Amino acid sequence: MINFEEELSKFIPSPEIEQAEDIIQNNDMTDISDIIKELLKRNNDEL
Amino acid sequence: MNCPNCGNKINKNKIHCEFCGSDLNLYRKIWSTSNLYYNRGLTKANIRDLSGAITDLRYSLELNKYNTDARNLLGLIYFEMGETVDALSQWVISKHFKPENNDADRYINAVQSNPTKLDSLNQAIKRYNTALNYAKQGSDDLAIIQLKKVVSLNPHFIRAHHLLALLLIKNNESDRAKRLLIKALKIDVSNTRTLRYLKAIDVPVTVNSDPSAKQAAEPSVTSTIMPLSSYKEDKPNIIAFVNLVIGVVIGIAVTAILVIPSIKKTYQAKENNYYTEYVESLSAQAEKEEAMIALQKDIQKLEEEKKELQEQLDSFVLPEDNSDFYEALLRLSQDYMDELSKSAKDRDLVAIADRLTDNIFNTLDLEMDEREEDANLINRLKAETYPAATKFYYDKGHDLYSDAKYEEALIELDRALTFDPENVDALYFKARAYHRLKDYENASVYYNIVIEDYPDSRRANSSKEYLNKIQ
Repeated sequence: MINFEEELSKFIPSPEIEQAEDIIQNNDMTDISDIIKELLKRNNDEL
Repeated sequence: MNCPNCGNKINKNKIHCEFCGSDLNLYRKIWSTSNLYYNRGLTKANIRDLSGAITDLRYSLELNKYNTDARNLLGLIYFEMGETVDALSQWVISKHFKPENNDADRYINAVQSNPTKLDSLNQAIKRYNTALNYAKQGSDDLAIIQLKKVVSLNPHFIRAHHLLALLLIKNNESDRAKRLLIKALKIDVSNTRTLRYLKAIDVPVTVNSDPSAKQAAEPSVTSTIMPLSSYKEDKPNIIAFVNLVIGVVIGIAVTAILVIPSIKKTYQAKENNYYTEYVESLSAQAEKEEAMIALQKDIQKLEEEKKELQEQLDSFVLPEDNSDFYEALLRLSQDYMDELSKSAKDRDLVAIADRLTDNIFNTLDLEMDEREEDANLINRLKAETYPAATKFYYDKGHDLYSDAKYEEALIELDRALTFDPENVDALYFKARAYHRLKDYENASVYYNIVIEDYPDSRRANSSKEYLNKIQ
């Protein structure tokens, strides 16, 4: 059974092409390698 | 390859970076795991499990953001699902990480080289956002109209399919929703939302926003659901066609009842006119024929007279001792026949009559046997010409009397009496002329002739009156 309102709330607006630049700039590029690097850096700093 | 820590170029077989001393084994494991997820994503993309492929590719990129292949593939999958902006974002980022020898260049150029297509994709996104607003405001009809347009602009926009299917399910159009969801399933075979909606199509949609209410067992439609009239295509308007046929039949009937009888009547009147004209022409022709027959008879009669006269003329023998007479008679006869050949109004019989009064015709001894034919001819000519001559001269004398030219009138009246001594009118007006000239003696003579010789004539009483006056 589908709850219409609940399902409807899951739909979010789709970004338009004019907004692509903002989306790209705000994109989080952090991956595991960056996290590991950050951890190693903190570790080295503590040491 | 580049060192993930310092970014310097190093040999890929090295365990430690020559520049920063970082342990490269860990990074190698991360990269191989990233490639593993990329491979899994690629496998799922090949069987159109796009949702599964997206999950694996995102894992791959979370492990290694420099995995260009994974990013490009993710962009392709986004584009296939109608998420144009997400696709372009991934390709742009991919190009940022790897500017050269990158397939993302080709993908971006393919999209941007067709501005019309790009605009239609953008229009689809805008209409989708508008439809979503309508749906959240409760204007389901408007949302459905917009979403139909979106689906036509971008048939791969799965989210638009989902929203439209949801609205159709809410409005009890499960069949149409099912068709829509099956189309979406062909694009992404494992899309959970698509599968969930398909499974729930036979179960009515509840509008209750309370999450706990969805666990209730009642599947029936609540009073908050307002079923709206669904869009139906217009059926062919048979009624209009039937009306048209009825109108044509009525028009034909009116024509038959009103117009055709008048046309028939007019035609009959024309026929009657033609018949009447024909009959009249026949009667006119008959009259002409009768006139022609009468004229032919006259011609025949005149030709017989001419022939008779000609015979008389031909049988006429000129005696040796009176050639002048016969020459004159012959000439006169010939002239008379010439006059007869003319029309009645053109004949001058008075001239013939005048010539008959010449001495040459009056000194003839008609008692001799050989003169009998001559006398007959002359008498015949006189009989034919004298009546016309006496009338001619009487009219002339009467006109002169009326103009008070009494002496000239007496001359003409005498001439008239030469051709007809019994012309009572000429005798009367001769007496009157003498009376006017105060020659009562001669007047009395002619008055007495009229009274005594023609007592029954219309001039007798007048003569008596005038005679009494002068006596």
